[in-house]
Amino acid sequence: MATPTGAADLIIRDLHATVADKEILRGVNLEIRKGETHALMGPNGSGKSTLANVIMGHPAYTVTGGEIIFKGHNVADLTADKRARMGLFLAFQYPLSVPGVTLSNFLRSAYAARKEGFDPDKPVEASGTTPKKRNLNPTEFRKLLQSKMEILKVDNTFLSRYLNEGFSGGEKKRAEILQMAILAPEIAVLDETDSGLDIDALRIVAEGVNALRGPQMGSLIITHYQRLLNYITPDIVHVMYKGQIIRTGGRELALELEEKGYAWLTGEEAEEAVATA
Amino acid sequence: MTAPTKPRGFTEEAINELIAQRNEPAWMTERRRTAWTAWNDLPMPDPRKDEEWRRTPLRLLELDEATPLSDAAKANVVPLAPAGELAAALTFVDGQVTARQDIADDLRQQGVIVTDLRSALAEHADLVQRYFMTVVKPTEAKFAALHGAFWDNGVFVYVPKGVAVALPVGVVVESAAPGRASLHHTLIVMERDSSLKYVEELRGGVAATADGQAFSSRVIELVQGDGTTLDFATIQRFSPAMFDFYDARVVQARDTNFTLHNIELGAAMSKGHIEALLEGAGAHARLAGIYFADHDQHLDRYTLQDHKGINTTSDLLFKGVVADTARSVYSGYIRIHPGAKGSRAYQQNRNIQLSRKARADSNPSLEIAENDILGCTHGATVGKVDEEQLFYLMCRGLSRGEATQMIVEGFLDQLVEAIPLPTLRVSLRDELIARVEATTVETDAA
Repeated sequence: MATPTGAADLIIRDLHATVADKEILRGVNLEIRKGETHALMGPNGSGKSTLANVIMGHPAYTVTGGEIIFKGHNVADLTADKRARMGLFLAFQYPLSVPGVTLSNFLRSAYAARKEGFDPDKPVEASGTTPKKRNLNPTEFRKLLQSKMEILKVDNTFLSRYLNEGFSGGEKKRAEILQMAILAPEIAVLDETDSGLDIDALRIVAEGVNALRGPQMGSLIITHYQRLLNYITPDIVHVMYKGQIIRTGGRELALELEEKGYAWLTGEEAEEAVATA
Repeated sequence: MTAPTKPRGFTEEAINELIAQRNEPAWMTERRRTAWTAWNDLPMPDPRKDEEWRRTPLRLLELDEATPLSDAAKANVVPLAPAGELAAALTFVDGQVTARQDIADDLRQQGVIVTDLRSALAEHADLVQRYFMTVVKPTEAKFAALHGAFWDNGVFVYVPKGVAVALPVGVVVESAAPGRASLHHTLIVMERDSSLKYVEELRGGVAATADGQAFSSRVIELVQGDGTTLDFATIQRFSPAMFDFYDARVVQARDTNFTLHNIELGAAMSKGHIEALLEGAGAHARLAGIYFADHDQHLDRYTLQDHKGINTTSDLLFKGVVADTARSVYSGYIRIHPGAKGSRAYQQNRNIQLSRKARADSNPSLEIAENDILGCTHGATVGKVDEEQLFYLMCRGLSRGEATQMIVEGFLDQLVEAIPLPTLRVSLRDELIARVEATTVETDAA
């Protein structure tokens, strides 16, 4: 783990957010630097997935207070595509299928957009224009794609399939990780909460994250279950409850939660045990 | 100066002149007269009385702005595909054959006929007489009657028993002369165990005056003998001046396979009526359609999946996109007759609205008169592009506009991909992409 110097790459400061007028995030504070791997744990309904969606700019959520500072800019008012082009990434718990759009076509467009980037200091072009065509060197892209597919052990036939259409759970996860590898985000949020991931899918996510882990990427791995952390060793573990981060610690915090359950921190009697399988 | 003027519109004078010009067999003249009588007898479709016309009033139609009689214009027609992709080809400009790629010798020697209907009337009169306007009868619908009286030219394809035509037959129908009505006919007759692919594209449509209308009345008749396989694509790319009316019907005998690709992109207004009659046991119909309407286009089509034979199956998927202030109507009807045991019918209609002022109507209905069937389901969706799909693509850096385009193109592409002509797939994709882009405006200035 790198020694923290200067401001963190992603700073979440007293973040409040609502969905359908219901407050879900009630003052979240969190800092992530490139090179760090954070785990965010918490019982069901604590706001973990909401945080992931709000960081990325899901239009169903309204930020009612606080800031999301990414690379020194408050991005809370930017649309998801601009955040993505700046280097934020969200791996979906349930990636959507887009029939008729091949994975390779999608990856090419996404890569071109990411390469173009987005500078929040530059004035935005007037609305009412159709999207511009981005130039992309096809050879360069093919090389990058091949190398990432080798690292992640992704089969070539994958590319001509429609995006997530008819994909198994494991294939969807593999496609998400491949997108992450191609887009090379600076901060990646992986929303794995509550998902019925089988052990293979879990390994795919873990191996992918471990392969991409490095000084250029920080990550926030959202998980209900400690078991994912058997495969990815986090540097920092946060526990979320009722829309706030109530405890931050090292790797040992996850193990302690596994042993004692969330009730240990939340004080709620009926709280479920932290699953270990 | 009193230059002789051609009769305008569809009049007694016009039908007499057309019959005088054509020098056709007496039975055809008789059929034209019968159809003309039917046209005069049948009432104009009334949105208040005719369910099928409820959303397509005809008050804007100006029938006397077009004429079935005028000289053909000269036109440079881009071929449908390179000759190598086709088994045979015909190009029509205002009813005149301007280019022809004959069927290969071996197929011709086996008895395959691909020719224009005027020639067929001279060379294969018995076959034409047996089938022409017996599948779609001029007495059953107003515009079919007009077509039966004034049909101009068309395509006649005959495939004898057991013959397989591997490459598609490709036809371009261009309407170029100002004010000239397009009255194109398609007649395909397949004897048992034969197979055929057929692709036709309709283009053009020039009004006589600057803000006038062009007019088209089409009939498509497809006769499938036992065990035949027909893959039929009809691509409507008329000009924005065109008012287009068509009746298409396939009659399927035992163990037939029919695939339809019904693509409608052009015209100011189009009203279509498509029927698959699954008469023989084990007949299967796969009906796919795309309609794309922008600006102030109005596209309305009706489909019927008519199950008469036992173990007949049909599977329909029509997809529509409406943008700007355009309007689309889809009415789908599944009818399962008594005795059609073991039948199964699916019908799906999906619509994407790209603007708030665009409107898509979907009206599915069923009539099932047999209990012993395998299944009958229908579904319809009308809505904007899915917000969750949009968010997913935007999370990968695509702007809202780009994401919308990608989703809409993907939505249509599965049906484009199935069209059996690579060159045409390319030109359709190009057009669809350009039109989706033109209607997708950036809204996220944040």
